Amino acid sequence: MSLATPARSLPPRARRLTRRHLAPYVFVAPFIALFAAFSVYPMIFTLRLSFTDWRGSGAARWVGWDNYTYLLGSGAFWSSLGNSAVLWLLVVPAQIVLALTVAVVLNNARLRMRGLYRVAYLVPFVTPLVAVAQIWVVLFDQNYGAVNRLLSLVGLPDIGWLTTTTWAKPTLALLFIWKTTGFIVVILLSGLQSLDASLYEAAEIDGAGTLRKLWSLTVPLIRRTLAFAAVMQTLAVFQMFAEPFVVTDGGPYNSTTTAGFYLYKHINQADLGTGAANSFLLVVVVMALSLLFVRLLRTED
Amino acid sequence: MRNRAVAAHLFLGAVLLLSLAPVVWAVVSAFKPAAEIVADPLGLDPATLTLENYRRVFDDVPLLSGFLNTAVVLVSKGTLTLLLAPLAAFGFAKYRFPGRGLLFGTVLVTLMLPTIVLIIPLLLQMKELGWVNTYQALILPGAVDAFAIFWMRQVIAEIPDELLDAARIDGCGEFGIFARVIMPLIRPALAGLGVLTVMNIYNDFVWPVVVANSERMATLQVVLSTLAQNITGNRIGADYATVTGELLAATSIALLPLVAVFVALQRHFVSGILAGSVKG
Repeated sequence: MSLATPARSLPPRARRLTRRHLAPYVFVAPFIALFAAFSVYPMIFTLRLSFTDWRGSGAARWVGWDNYTYLLGSGAFWSSLGNSAVLWLLVVPAQIVLALTVAVVLNNARLRMRGLYRVAYLVPFVTPLVAVAQIWVVLFDQNYGAVNRLLSLVGLPDIGWLTTTTWAKPTLALLFIWKTTGFIVVILLSGLQSLDASLYEAAEIDGAGTLRKLWSLTVPLIRRTLAFAAVMQTLAVFQMFAEPFVVTDGGPYNSTTTAGFYLYKHINQADLGTGAANSFLLVVVVMALSLLFVRLLRTED
Repeated sequence: MRNRAVAAHLFLGAVLLLSLAPVVWAVVSAFKPAAEIVADPLGLDPATLTLENYRRVFDDVPLLSGFLNTAVVLVSKGTLTLLLAPLAAFGFAKYRFPGRGLLFGTVLVTLMLPTIVLIIPLLLQMKELGWVNTYQALILPGAVDAFAIFWMRQVIAEIPDELLDAARIDGCGEFGIFARVIMPLIRPALAGLGVLTVMNIYNDFVWPVVVANSERMATLQVVLSTLAQNITGNRIGADYATVTGELLAATSIALLPLVAVFVALQRHFVSGILAGSVKG
């Protein structure tokens, strides 16, 4: 009898225990199912496709590494990477410096209208990219655009923003910086708000000026946030597609055919095997760059 | 100190002007007669303001069906994301179970992969399923996104386990804990994720343009981009000024709902991102 009492109370508790063991599977199952179907499965499919010659119909022919060697030996592939690299150089350093400056100035608790600034800076970010791209087409038109009209007011000559190889990339870079800097500001603000004010007081007592504090305290302390922002923007620049698609159609003379746009061209021409191989080469580049940032900003410890 | 504040406002104000100018210019210019937008892009004559561009864009472009398609996708895909991501994140953050590391690791890896990699196989998958130009194709892929679950897991991990145990002692089941303890606690971050999700879905362009290119299924962004291609030369002989007027009107119509939602919810949005992103 003395054994029977705990035995009777055991079943419900055991049931609860199993339920607790089963619960996480039930919670993650719908997510994992959709994720497996529409992310993992297509990824494995792409990998297999990248070793075949396939035009979207009929049987795929296994070609081994041919697609990869073709791309690695192709001028168009390297020039698409080069275009993205130039855009990266034009965008990311300038954007991080600008966003950090804005975030540091905005982080002052005594500053009035902080809320207004934060909201206004995010307007470009919430504006649909396709809409922005179209505004750019109109604003930067060589003959009728408001930008050249502004320049002529101060006596500068017309510039072929979207029609010359010199200016097409900077114009796209400007679009990208305009569109996303507000979001980076908010990300950096989150890093700044976690900092300890007493460190700054100590630095001030030691006679550190504004720039000195920024470089020796702020930047090292939020470097993980900076790395996160840099990695996010690197991924975004190398995947850039809608901007060249809408604004320049990859031109003039392929000068804005970015890595992302070049990838789209394979799909558009139903050259799917090459496109898949191109995808994975792009993955390698992006991952290498991301890891580089993570390393660069971590080894300072 | 006062000089410094003035300098700060001058700098922040200049950035503010630059970040608002293109949008304001587009919205205001769309009320000008088409010929005037082109002839005098910087001027504004109150006497000639007109709704002509807006009227014409509704006549020429399937803007309303674009809005409707976007709305359907927005509601269903948004609901899926905002339910499934926190639920799975809860599973990953608060339970130890065999396979957890492997599953979450896979999610993290895809976070680093360019989404464009998946376009080809997803398109083939949709063709095989017969889903090209359907709502399923617009809704299901991407409804569970790696970034959302990563973010929510960070937030849920910070909730103390004691709260969960207390709820269990009070007789709350595991799903009850999720619904009554976790969800209310992560509301700020969830609001942030909500705005970000709405924005991503509303603005999504690459996938819809590939999988839903029929006029009947085109989302708002696809409709817009088609109009843009007219301006870049596909519509031979089109009057440049007319198309520009239509374009600016369509663009204004497309950006206003989102900007309005954002301004209304900006408090949640900013604090949501602040609460959720990685700390220094």
